Amino acid sequence: MAVVLCASLLATALSGCATSGPSQRLTVTGSTTILPIAELSAEMFDAAHPGVKVLVSGVGSSAGIESVTSGSSDIGTSSRELKGDELKAGLVDSAIAYDAIAVIVNPDNPVKDLSTAQVRGIFTGKIRDWSEVGGPSMPILLVNRDAASGTREAFDKIVLKGATFDPTAAVLPGTGQVRAVVAQAKGSVGYISLGFVTDQVKAVSIDGVAPSPSTVKDGTYPVRRTLHFFTRGQPKGLARQYVDYVLSQVIQKDVIGKAGFTPIGSGK
Amino acid sequence: MTPGNVPIPRPAPHIAESPNIKLTSRSTYLKERFLRYLFAAAALVAVLGVLLIFFFVGIRGWPIFQKVGVWDFLTGMVWAPTATPPQYGIFPMLFGSFVVMAGALVLGAPLAIGTAIFLSEIASPKVRSVVRPAVELLAGVPSVVFGFFGLLVLRPFLAAGSGTLGLGLMAGWLILAIMVVPTIATLTEDALDSVSGGVREASYAMGATTWQTIYKVLVPSARVGIIDAIILGMGRAIGETMAVLMVIGNAPVIPKGLFAPFSTITTQIVIDMSYATGDHRTALFGMAIVLFAISMLFVAAVRLVSRLFGAED
Repeated sequence: MAVVLCASLLATALSGCATSGPSQRLTVTGSTTILPIAELSAEMFDAAHPGVKVLVSGVGSSAGIESVTSGSSDIGTSSRELKGDELKAGLVDSAIAYDAIAVIVNPDNPVKDLSTAQVRGIFTGKIRDWSEVGGPSMPILLVNRDAASGTREAFDKIVLKGATFDPTAAVLPGTGQVRAVVAQAKGSVGYISLGFVTDQVKAVSIDGVAPSPSTVKDGTYPVRRTLHFFTRGQPKGLARQYVDYVLSQVIQKDVIGKAGFTPIGSGK
Repeated sequence: MTPGNVPIPRPAPHIAESPNIKLTSRSTYLKERFLRYLFAAAALVAVLGVLLIFFFVGIRGWPIFQKVGVWDFLTGMVWAPTATPPQYGIFPMLFGSFVVMAGALVLGAPLAIGTAIFLSEIASPKVRSVVRPAVELLAGVPSVVFGFFGLLVLRPFLAAGSGTLGLGLMAGWLILAIMVVPTIATLTEDALDSVSGGVREASYAMGATTWQTIYKVLVPSARVGIIDAIILGMGRAIGETMAVLMVIGNAPVIPKGLFAPFSTITTQIVIDMSYATGDHRTALFGMAIVLFAISMLFVAAVRLVSRLFGAED
């Protein structure tokens, strides 16, 4: 990573000169969530554009925003919105994908809809029985992800808003395990990326909105975050080409869709 | 390690230098020398490995004891390394490790000892030739396969039967009980086999039945070996990680029942190590030190048992 970072700093420093090397360089720095998308897109972009090298590094969303603001990278990637002073830095947002999280229950559970407050109550351990949220009288069995999970981090930020998870919840180290366990235990509830929901489990509506590509896209489904590319001013030149490439059908369908994210679908 | 055995005389290690033996040539002499150093080096690598791991883990983990205090670290009830302020209490995991080990042994040891007695005393050679490889094969099954089996086959049964997630002590016990069988059975069988044939014949000659011979003569004669086998089984159970991780739910709390998620020291290290930094990481090394201490206790226990009970026979 340090090497990539040095290389990116060097590349930016040299980008003032017209003939700085045999190739054009574009540096993309930021979110580790977006890293797989950005890296795969970069490889395919490089292959399609001879003489171009896209340098990608994952240092976290905040560092990415900082890096594009200070001019040390061309694109800053972020899995969170801008806040505070960052809003005044003149950054232009290109949304590239959504990461929607579905709250899943066992298909035999009659509960179909929960409010955000109820989901928060359930995962913090305040609501302990399904009868409290309009279901049958049976204990709620919580399934959580491990703390290293990006899905957990996002769910924590969007739904729990700083409250702590119930420590007695089962902690499973993978989306597949969460789905398998929820599929077979009647009172269970968990959360996984929308892309991984199958018939084995039931995704409940949140605040009356069922998660689907369209409700995720129009923003009515609340448990989602947007993945951003930030540029200083409108993206120009190579940055423009790269952003457009990530928004193209090839990347949106084959890379973003397969990685479990929701395509933004504005195939420009 | 087993009592009642006449030690087989072995050639003394210095025989190559003994004046009675004239080595035929210089090249043979050098070859012998070289092999001695080679084997010494092999043994040294193992010792060096243990020492390196011990010092590395010790240096990395020690600061947490100074920061939190050994007692508070061991008896603290809350494991919340990412909270503000962070809390590093490993008692729930310590409890989990010991309880899952104890239950697995209660279920697994009788099964294993029964298997060993069957193989050593009862089974015909034909049956033995099928059962013994099966038990040995069980030892070779990777633990992640046990875990996978536990998660996808055993757990749904427990979930349906108990109305819970199925993750917890019961699932851990059942999986670990199967996993300790080969360790305990193989060592117990060795212990029974090493009881000299004369003892067995004497018992039968006195008119004892097979059962009487087994429980009055053979098992008492082999008891040191059997206790050693159980202690080594304990080591296997407490150190097991992957299989347990997949079936216990990994909640760092004292479980509220046989079907409630809990965590052990080993599984908590695996769950946390991918993202732990700073004091949290140090605390994980601290947990590794605790594990080291537990294994050392087990090894010491094996030696103590051999010395205490082995001497009187």
